[in-house]
Order: sequence, then C-alpha cells, then structure tokens
Amino acid sequence: MGHKTIAKELARKHGVPLLGGSPGSVRDAEEARKIANSIGYPVILKAAAGGGGRGMRVVEREKDIERMFTLATNEAAKAFNNPDVFLERFVREPRHIEFQILADQHGNVVHLGERECSVQRKHQKLLEESPSPALSPALRKKMGEAAINITKSVNYYSAGTVEFLLDSDNSFSFMEMNTRIQVEHPVTEMVTGIDLIEQMILIAEGQKLPFTQKEIKLKGWAFEWRINAEDVQSGFSPSLGTIEKISWPESENIRVDTGVRDGSVITPYYDSMIAKLIVHGETREKAMQLSSQAIRKFWIKGTKTTLAFCRAVLQNSNFRKGNFNTSFLSKELKIHYHNEPDDALLAAFFATYDYAREINENEEKPLHTENGKAITPWVLKKRLR
Amino acid sequence: MARAAKKKQSTKLIALSSTNKTYEFKKPLEKRIKYQGKEVDIKLHEDPKGFSYIVWKNKKYMLDVIEKKQNRYTIMVNGVWHSFTVETPVSLKRKRYLEQQADSSASVSIEAPMPGKIVDIMVEEGGEVKEGEPIIILEAMKMQNEITSHITGIVKSVSVKKGESVMKDDLLIEIKKG
Repeated sequence: MGHKTIAKELARKHGVPLLGGSPGSVRDAEEARKIANSIGYPVILKAAAGGGGRGMRVVEREKDIERMFTLATNEAAKAFNNPDVFLERFVREPRHIEFQILADQHGNVVHLGERECSVQRKHQKLLEESPSPALSPALRKKMGEAAINITKSVNYYSAGTVEFLLDSDNSFSFMEMNTRIQVEHPVTEMVTGIDLIEQMILIAEGQKLPFTQKEIKLKGWAFEWRINAEDVQSGFSPSLGTIEKISWPESENIRVDTGVRDGSVITPYYDSMIAKLIVHGETREKAMQLSSQAIRKFWIKGTKTTLAFCRAVLQNSNFRKGNFNTSFLSKELKIHYHNEPDDALLAAFFATYDYAREINENEEKPLHTENGKAITPWVLKKRLR
Repeated sequence: MARAAKKKQSTKLIALSSTNKTYEFKKPLEKRIKYQGKEVDIKLHEDPKGFSYIVWKNKKYMLDVIEKKQNRYTIMVNGVWHSFTVETPVSLKRKRYLEQQADSSASVSIEAPMPGKIVDIMVEEGGEVKEGEPIIILEAMKMQNEITSHITGIVKSVSVKKGESVMKDDLLIEIKKG
C-alpha cells in the first residue's frame, strides 16, 4: 500500500473516486509528456514510494516537463531508494484532508476522524488541525467510510492514513495511503484521547481493537505547529546552525514533541523539523488563542525557525474563519511572517549596541602578560613603553 | 590613556538595513534611543535561561544575534530576522560613494545558501541567464533545491562541478549584469 500506483489500482476496483493520470509508474520524460498532453496541464509528478512532499513536482507547461521529470526521479531515488514516479491531474486549490485509520489483524477497521493539512508549501505540511473546519458530520461519515473501505480492500492492519483531495464542491478523490504513523498524528490523539502508538503495538501483538467506531468521539479542537529550522523570509530555505537554547511553555493543553535540546546542531543531512507544538482547546477559537500564547513563549536561540510564520497564520482572518485551501500560502498569506512595527528599530538598536560594546570591550581588555601566554612582540613593545 | 578614555564615549553609529533604511543612534552604549521625538531608555534583560529581551511598550521582544561578521549583523526579533551593517557617519558616506561608482558594470556572485551537494548545473560560462531562471540544483536536507539567478546577464564563471560538495557561502557562479 506504500506504493502509490498499486494503491490507486486497488482504490479504483473498490469504487473510491480517483484523479486521472498515468496507469502506473512513468518510464521516462517522453511518456510523461504524452500522458500530460492527453489529460491536460497542470499535472503533478509524484514519487511512487514517496511521502513528505519529496519527489513531487507540479508541471504547468509542456516545456517544463523534462526538467521536472528529472528533478522528481532524482529526488525519489535519493529519498526513497526508488526512482519511480507517476503522474496525475493536478487539482488547483483543493483541501488536503486525511483520515486516521486503525485496523487490527481480525478485520476490524475504525477511523479516528480527519486531519486538515491544507496549509503547505512545496507540498510539505506546515501545520495540521483536527477536526477540519470544512467537514460536516455527513461528509465526515462518507469520507471515513471510503477510508475504511480502502483499508479493508488490502487487508491492511496497524495504524494508517488515507489521504484525500477535497474540492470546493465537496467532491473528494483518493490520493494515497500512508502505511505508517505520521508526523501529525498527535492532533488525532488530542481529540480522541487514544494513544496511537500504544494501539499499533497492541495490534502487532495480535490483539483486537478495544473500541468500535461508535465509541470514538472527537472532543474539542487540536492544532499542531511544525517548528522547522527554516528561513521563512527566504522562501523557507533550510537554516543551519546550533540551537543554543530552546524553551517552551508547559501546561496541560500543550504537548511538545522534540528531539533537540540546548546545543543540538542542525545539519544538512536530516530534514529541518526540530519540534512540534501541539495545542488543544475546547473549540477552534479557544485552540487558536492558546496557540498564539504558546507560540509567543516558545523561544529558540541560535537558528531561524518557522515560529514567526505560525504567528502570521494565526493573524490571518481567513485562516481564523477556517476558510482556506492548499493555495493559502501562495495566494492568501502575502507575508509569510509576523512583524511588529518597532521590530526593525529594536533590531537596529541591538546591532549597534552590540557593535559599540564590542569595540569598547576590546579597548578595555587588560594585557595578559603575567601568565606569560601569547605575548606578541607588539604587545610587549606597548607594555614596555 | 587620554586617548583610550576619549574613545570609550560611545559615538554616533548608524545601522544600515538590507533594504537601505538607516537607523541612527547617537549614543548606543547608553541604551537610549530617539522614538517619536522623545528620548527613550531601553532596558536589556536576560532571563534565567539565558534568553535576551527588551521590554518595549509592555511587550517582550526576544532578541538573538544570528550572524555577526565584523560590522555585519543579522538580528532576530521575535523570530523575524533583520540584516544590518553598522556604520559610522564616515564609513556610510564612503560606502554610498563606492556603490554609486560600481553600479553599472558590476557582476553578481551567486553563493551557496546552505551546505550541500551540487546535483546539476544548468548554465555554462558565457551563456545567458534570465532573472528567476534556475541555474544550479543543490541537494540539502534531503531536498533538491533550485538555485535561481536574481539578475539577468551573462555567466562570467562557474566555480563548481557536478557532484561536488559545497559549504555555505561558497561561490557558485558569477554573473555579469547585462
């Protein structure tokens, strides 16, 4: 199921709606061109074994297809050890909605509601929430059932995620299934109260699911803010360095998942995520308010991060209304970071202050001739004079 | 000694931002700034965990020096960075003059924005490039990053080879404006 083209074939057999595209992997750039020309641009190239937005390229025009095909296959080979890519019609401005699935080895499958993952850049998620402001209970039921059907069709067990594209007319199409635990799973844990990792272990042991679909209730609202070492002001390019200090607020509504601490070094060998800030509230409004407070108190010294981006998102009125899709970053959020009027003035002051202080200190530094170390003739000369 | 004492008094410094805005501080060491016609004292704090901040209009502004090279500074305020060069009135004047002189025939160097591996080079020496055109693909953080030219011109030199690893700020390509 991790292989996207095989998964799509199965979905088609089970009557789950799909997007037009290549029947399997695309052999070469020439074949990609042919298929793209037949279904029309824009199209998207995706790594068959992929995930996380890598090995994925949108092609707007025929003249770009060769270059994009090469980029996508290179990236796929590097990231997933499998250069296969497939091609499908690219839906403009859909929402990205995914359903969390739990399935045991006895044929029981439940869904734990959806996650709204539409805020993305370069097809990488930047924040997630659960539930989605776009889903009515009826639509949730319909999509949840489709997700369960796909899972059953392959006799999959463990935790999994079924991803859909949701169009503005509420029609949806199956995109792929992730046969693993995902980065954004904590939002589901916060609203369902179910520990997904625990369930994965129990399922692997051969135990039956301890709950039925009816017993799963979504309580309140949860956001996950991804804190990446990225330079938001330079198009989210990776930002390397050392995390000199990191500190975050603690409360029962807040969960922080991280693998870094004071002194951790951010290298170019791993992806840029350094922490996840998960916030739960009774309502979406409350969860946003708590998020704003938590982000203000999340401090990282030493590297550029996506925190200022999170603040900008929370200030956006359409985001607050729940009115957004995957084009949110490119069309709606014009400035990708939150700036206050006197920020630049205070930064300018701090730079000049630091500079002035350093010059001053250098002049006051006593000469360490007594311990006899590193005395240059120049110093000695000055000293003797 | 008289000379040292004289220098200790902080003199006027100017922060020139990357967007060419200037911020003047008469006595930066005395932590006083002019704001809306008034002199305002600034208090620098350090919390027990070692984070620096300024309290300004009853709000905390977290501060961090992200980069510092001689007089070049990148300062982060509440997660947003600002770049400056710190100038004296004389050095600013000189800088402005030199920029004016250099403007027309200049060439621009494209440097590696991060360490990584060169996966592909799309231009050749002597070839034309347009603004926004991808010129190099650099792999870092498991992503293939397209590096684009920010000017239109002729490629003067290519300093890297395919497959080579580069460090941050390594020169990749020089482009002559045109």
